[in-house]
Amino acid sequence: MLARDRRFGYALVAAAVIVLLVITAYPLFYNAWNSLRHDVVTSGIPATWAGLSNYKEIFTDNLFVPSLVRTIGFTVVSVAVETVIGLGLAVALNRAFPGRGLVRAAVFIPWAVPTVVSAQLWKNMFDPQNGFVNYILTELHLPLAHTTWLGQTWTAWGAILVADAWRNTPFIAIVLLAGLQVIPGDIYEAARIDGASAWQAFRRLTLPLLKPALMVAMIFRTLQSFLIFDVVYNMTAGGPGTSTSVLSYLNYQAFFVNFDYGYGGAISIALVVVALLIAAVYTRVFRVEQVL
Amino acid sequence: MTWWPERHHWRGRAVTAVAALAAAGLAAAGCGSSGGGSASKQVSASAKQTIVFASQGLGGEGTASKAAVAAFEKANPNIKVNILNLSPVSDVALQQLQQRFISGASTPDVVTTDVVWPATFARPGWIQNLAKFHPDTSAFYPAQMQSGTYKGQVYAIPWFINAEGLYYRKDLVKTPPTTVQQLVSDAKSAMSRDPKLKEGFAFEGDKYEGAVTAMQSFGGQVGLSNLNNINTPANQAALKFMADAIHTYKIAPSAVSTWEEAQVQAAWLGGQTPFALNWPYIFALSEANGSAVKGKTGWVPFPNASGSAAQASLGGDDLAINAKSTHQAAAWKFIQYLTSTQAQVARAIAAGDPPSVKSAYTSELLSKAPYFKDEQKVFAVATPRAVSPVYTQVSSQLQTMISSVLSGQQSAQAALSATAPTVKQLQGTASGG
Repeated sequence: MLARDRRFGYALVAAAVIVLLVITAYPLFYNAWNSLRHDVVTSGIPATWAGLSNYKEIFTDNLFVPSLVRTIGFTVVSVAVETVIGLGLAVALNRAFPGRGLVRAAVFIPWAVPTVVSAQLWKNMFDPQNGFVNYILTELHLPLAHTTWLGQTWTAWGAILVADAWRNTPFIAIVLLAGLQVIPGDIYEAARIDGASAWQAFRRLTLPLLKPALMVAMIFRTLQSFLIFDVVYNMTAGGPGTSTSVLSYLNYQAFFVNFDYGYGGAISIALVVVALLIAAVYTRVFRVEQVL
Repeated sequence: MTWWPERHHWRGRAVTAVAALAAAGLAAAGCGSSGGGSASKQVSASAKQTIVFASQGLGGEGTASKAAVAAFEKANPNIKVNILNLSPVSDVALQQLQQRFISGASTPDVVTTDVVWPATFARPGWIQNLAKFHPDTSAFYPAQMQSGTYKGQVYAIPWFINAEGLYYRKDLVKTPPTTVQQLVSDAKSAMSRDPKLKEGFAFEGDKYEGAVTAMQSFGGQVGLSNLNNINTPANQAALKFMADAIHTYKIAPSAVSTWEEAQVQAAWLGGQTPFALNWPYIFALSEANGSAVKGKTGWVPFPNASGSAAQASLGGDDLAINAKSTHQAAAWKFIQYLTSTQAQVARAIAAGDPPSVKSAYTSELLSKAPYFKDEQKVFAVATPRAVSPVYTQVSSQLQTMISSVLSGQQSAQAALSATAPTVKQLQGTASGG
């Protein structure tokens, strides 16, 4: 009886396990294998064993490390900005006001737009001569109306941040709004009776109770932000120079421009390691919170 | 957790499964990169068959391709041609083809290849050496014929030629400039006289292939023999002029550092610039009814920034045959049709694609589209970019270099001396293969 149950159980999970193996384990092992070889598929030269030389290369060639620094910097800034704005949106949308359904839908629309489309849209918006951004700055007599946004390092980063935040802040807002809605209303009533101010209620009740949702939103966004590709690919191609060349873009170049599977594999494995580190840090923080 | 009483047992099996799967994957990967044998069973040209033609092209070009296919099928009822549409974005089309070749697919049989790709495709043996078909290489512009030749062997046949030149407004500029100094002063005086002008000169400076062709059209040297040392006076002059046009002479807006051909086209056709660098397709649009620059358009080779003879970056498309194709005879027949005078004239009139075949500049073509007369002068000085299997990688380095100079991050000289060793090393890996 037990044996039959067990076999049935295996059968039930088999499909999921196979799918996971095919889409997760296989590419991972394939890349790990790639990273240990010299393999430029367009070279016509058979691949050779490389040992750890691809890893040595990424840490000494002055491309990977600067890209890593840029990517981490962007991740920290973008997640911070998007979380603060997303939280504000979620709190605002949680209140009852006329037309709330419509406003909620409007806020979430950017998230339904494919990133490639939104990135291309923002590239056009930041066009110095025909773009909306400089047009509105000119009309409002604001400074920076003649900026070539994508032509300078910091303005290019600003443009990328805006495009990324426009697309992804709604995601944080959706998750946080869901988190807000499960907080029971009566505790706020109790707090009010105890004489708590609105700020105190937000600080002592809303934030702690929202932490699980906040964690989920932040883990997702941090990992996505760390792997940012589409926005950079469409808006700047890593330029000007290499100022906005993030890790995924570097990896894309390794695989699809240079067809250097060894070097690209090493970057991929490094990406996986950092992504695991990020996840580990978050899970740790999350666990501590639960114990408290 | 209680679900698996013997958890270790399960774990052991899972590990075995993962290992087996990984091993299978590795084996497959091993086979994939080594590639198989050549196409053995060839279908004769007279047999009934279908071939696949991979091509870029939207709008007029797409329609012209369909018309050419229909005419070919009518003349050769046993051969059906299916068109496989590639991305209109050149870099993406290249990746689409490379991925098909890497997978060892036997289709597409005929591929359209940008003039800078044949060497990349020829080195790994992806496209067929065409020697067995005895192509008539003398029929084409020599510069473009060179683009399809790798290690002395012909791998691709020119389909239509392109070259980048300087558009100038005949109503604002008396005689086309022959030096860049003259171009700068002409642009400045035109800007001071005509308030409708937004800039004096437009070119494409975004971080993409176009920036490389622009640098070459300004007199830059990016041919095969230049890759060992790109830090030459000619390249310094060309790259410095690109940056100076924006920052020193201020005839080009800083926006050009993010412009591609489309934005340059808009600036030119909108009548907002007296000078623009672009490809021949703009000529037909300029002369179309309703154009703001109709009858005011002239086109010449760009004056060389280093003072040497003018040159024009060679573009255009070649045609090649997939080495794994089993329909090579029919594929060759199709290529011969596409490069026949009759098909070339039809495409030139319908889509504005300049013929690669010299004899196609017939009086019929010149009477219907007189601007091809001006275009011939630019094609005559067309200069190919490096016919190298690592051109894409080299170009990626050059794009980053140009982008850093146009944005003012470093001087032309510093950028060239920093990039030269990398380019040399890349080319070294190619000659080793």
